[in-house]
Amino acid sequence: MIFASKMPSLRIDQSDLKCKNGCDYFGNPQWQGYCSKCHRELLQRQRRAEKASSATLPKPEQKKPERGIKLASHSSFSKFEEKRLRQSETLKKANLLKFSVFKKSSTDEHDHTPERKPPEFKIPALINEGMKREFRVRFTNLPPQVDRDARVFVHSFIMDVIKCSNVMTVDELSERVQRHYQHFMKYMDTSPHFANAESEIKELLIDFVEKHAMTYLHDLPGVVFSPIGTEDERLDRAMSERIQQLSWVGEKHLECKLDRTDSACSQLLYKAISELLAVDGAAGPGGKLSRVRRACRHVLALCGASASADDLLPALIFTVLKANPPRLVSNINFVTRFCNAQRLMTGEGGYYFTNLCCAVSFIENLTAESLNMDKKEFDCYMAMPASIGGSTWAAALSLCGAAREAAEQRAAARALLADVATLRAEADLLAANADSFEKEIAFKVNDVLANTPLEIKPRREPLRLSSLRNSSIPLIDLETPVDTPAPMKPSEDIPQIKLPEIMPVEEPVTVTFDRTTDEKITQNIIDFQSLEKPSPPKSPQNQPWELKQTGSFELLTPSPLGFTPFDSRSIDELMTPDDFGSDHLAPGLSNINYDIDLSDFSGDNSLAEDTPKEPKDPFSPDGIKKEPVFDPFQPQTSQSSYKNVLEKFDEFSLIDSKSNETSEAFEVVHRTQDSCTPAAAEEPGDPFSPVQKEASILDDSGSPTSACLLPSPLQPQTR
Amino acid sequence: MTTAPSGTHNFKVVLLGEGCVGKTSILLRYIEDKFNDKHLTTLQATFLNKKLNINGKRINLSIWDTAGQEKFHALGPIYYRNSNGAILVYDITDEDSFGKVKNWVKELKKMLGSDIVLIIAGNKVDLEHERTVPLEEAESYADMVGAKHFYTSAKLNQGVEELFLELTREMVERFEQNTRTDSNRTSRVLVVDDEAPTQSTCCLGYRSN
Repeated sequence: MIFASKMPSLRIDQSDLKCKNGCDYFGNPQWQGYCSKCHRELLQRQRRAEKASSATLPKPEQKKPERGIKLASHSSFSKFEEKRLRQSETLKKANLLKFSVFKKSSTDEHDHTPERKPPEFKIPALINEGMKREFRVRFTNLPPQVDRDARVFVHSFIMDVIKCSNVMTVDELSERVQRHYQHFMKYMDTSPHFANAESEIKELLIDFVEKHAMTYLHDLPGVVFSPIGTEDERLDRAMSERIQQLSWVGEKHLECKLDRTDSACSQLLYKAISELLAVDGAAGPGGKLSRVRRACRHVLALCGASASADDLLPALIFTVLKANPPRLVSNINFVTRFCNAQRLMTGEGGYYFTNLCCAVSFIENLTAESLNMDKKEFDCYMAMPASIGGSTWAAALSLCGAAREAAEQRAAARALLADVATLRAEADLLAANADSFEKEIAFKVNDVLANTPLEIKPRREPLRLSSLRNSSIPLIDLETPVDTPAPMKPSEDIPQIKLPEIMPVEEPVTVTFDRTTDEKITQNIIDFQSLEKPSPPKSPQNQPWELKQTGSFELLTPSPLGFTPFDSRSIDELMTPDDFGSDHLAPGLSNINYDIDLSDFSGDNSLAEDTPKEPKDPFSPDGIKKEPVFDPFQPQTSQSSYKNVLEKFDEFSLIDSKSNETSEAFEVVHRTQDSCTPAAAEEPGDPFSPVQKEASILDDSGSPTSACLLPSPLQPQTR
Repeated sequence: MTTAPSGTHNFKVVLLGEGCVGKTSILLRYIEDKFNDKHLTTLQATFLNKKLNINGKRINLSIWDTAGQEKFHALGPIYYRNSNGAILVYDITDEDSFGKVKNWVKELKKMLGSDIVLIIAGNKVDLEHERTVPLEEAESYADMVGAKHFYTSAKLNQGVEELFLELTREMVERFEQNTRTDSNRTSRVLVVDDEAPTQSTCCLGYRSN
């Protein structure tokens, strides 16, 4: 269905829009695809046929009320058309064809009139909505019946006006409209719905009704505003031209006391003029009246204190001359005809409006005498091209406009400045808040730290291990350093002890290692087997060692020895060089997995020759960063090759199932490098140099493995 | 007369007269009853709505000041259209202004018939010693045209209140007459009423004028 109905609309052809009869006018679905003319003929034919044969033909699908109105408009159509034609004829004679609106409406009327109808009967629904909304806001204490009455009235009012607008002359229509107002007022007086309403409220109500009805009607072309059949538009044009011609008329001619040099004066004039210009924009008569009222108040202010009508009128004339409001006559006529007459006669707005009418009338009939000037002079002025006259005031006003704009912008700028100030204050406040917040947080953190200082306690586990182990192996005095919470000190201690011990052992091994598996290993980073093979030749004792790749989870596995399981953290902490140094040989540590890249070790050795490679190492960056923290190892890390090696450690896990001694094999490799490199670097400030010597003594203790193994796992800890 | 609880009478009154005879002053003086003397100078009295209560009837007076300069004389009809009452002001020290009043009376009679209530006010009686318009002449003329005559002094606040009161009373009376004799009714009656179909015609007058 959807497709079927939508598809054709996508490629609508102009011929599809035309009347079905094939005449040049466009058809309308409401007219069964005919143009209005053909449809009317069709209807008439149908009606005739009905009458003749009394056989009911299938009726067009229109609704009844719509139809009734259409028929009414048909009956009036010819008359209406005739009137229009007459109108356009007179226009042509008057050579006033510039009135594009008129021309258009007379030439296009054939299409326009019928097409305009359907929307006219839908829109009142919108008005209903608008009225409902406004009613709720403005007349809160009136019963809902009043709302309904008002809406019913507006609806019937609009319908009636539209219906009559084609049949009646403007004067008749105006009379009818006024009678509608009267009816509504009378209704308000008699109906019980309005029993409680004050007379002021009733006046507001009639204004309310008028506003909504007229606002809608105002926008319909040629119905109430410069209606067809009147000369309003021509008069508008004539008036506009006349005012242009009179632009030379100044305040002196009109004997009004204006001071054109006074800026306040020109400001007021400017305001009055802008209000007058806005009259055309207001839709309802009430709106127009209030604009006029405001304009006249400005004009009164312009005249100065204790201004009387004697002052007001000349000043108003002057203002109108300078403003040259668009469609002035049409607007005036619209208000006079269709504004509620009572208000026009009694209200303040009515008074000012009357003054405006006077001003316009005066301008229309302005002669040399009315300006107290010589006839010849007047004629000269009138003959002068409009562009010349009144330039001073025009200039003053344009300046005024500019000044006003400037003032507005200045005001805007001032407002912005004020905003900036507040913003800055708020920013400061925010900064202060942030500051205090930071302090508070810091304070709290310190507080918490003070209250719970011993997160590090788990470290003691390794102590137990180490103590256990110590019993078997008289290792180092590392127990004490382990106890201390600060990792740094022990770390220094340990290397001091160990480094030297490794030294002697290493050297021979490194050589062998290099030769055997140098190349292989360097290429395969993670080849454990390749590592194992070389290892046996170095030291047969290596067998108990098992190297395997491990995930970190292995660290979590409880030690087979039945010691309390290491949680990852405790292990990590243990891995600080000191800890490790003390513990690495302990049986309890059998489960600790160190990732050791043996290949790198070999690489290390070879690296002396080879420039650092394997940038691929995922851990290398970390390792590098961490190294500096470690004072003792720094020299080593300075050698990029060594860094790589250290990082490689992570990739392999070293499990020593048995004794520590076996591990020596690894250490040896490492040590050689360690010891050598610093020496080679010949860094005098190196903290190791003294250490090494001492370490050499300790070397025998059998802890050396730790020295080489330490760096990689330790790094994360130390940082 | 339909005096619905909410039905107030709206009357429109115009002040006519030559320039500088004191129309505005009279209006200002009348307003002064409501406002402080100090405000007098700052008031812009061109239009005044005044609510009165006469014999229990609520009356709303709209008093319109008009421009009195000679060159605006032609605009008079626009001003006094639909008026219920007119106050014709002259300066007792200025004969010409009285002549102008006569003109106005003629014009009003011609345009509005007898439906408009006319009040002739000789202003500036505080300048009695400079009087040029004889008292008898003015009063006899007023009688002749069926108008009330008052002597006022806006400066001394003499007769102003009485003038407006009398005018209002007259207008109410005239209104009631008109409602009684429907034939006399004209569009000038502005009171909300069911039978004022002719009222709207007056609104079309602008162009015709």
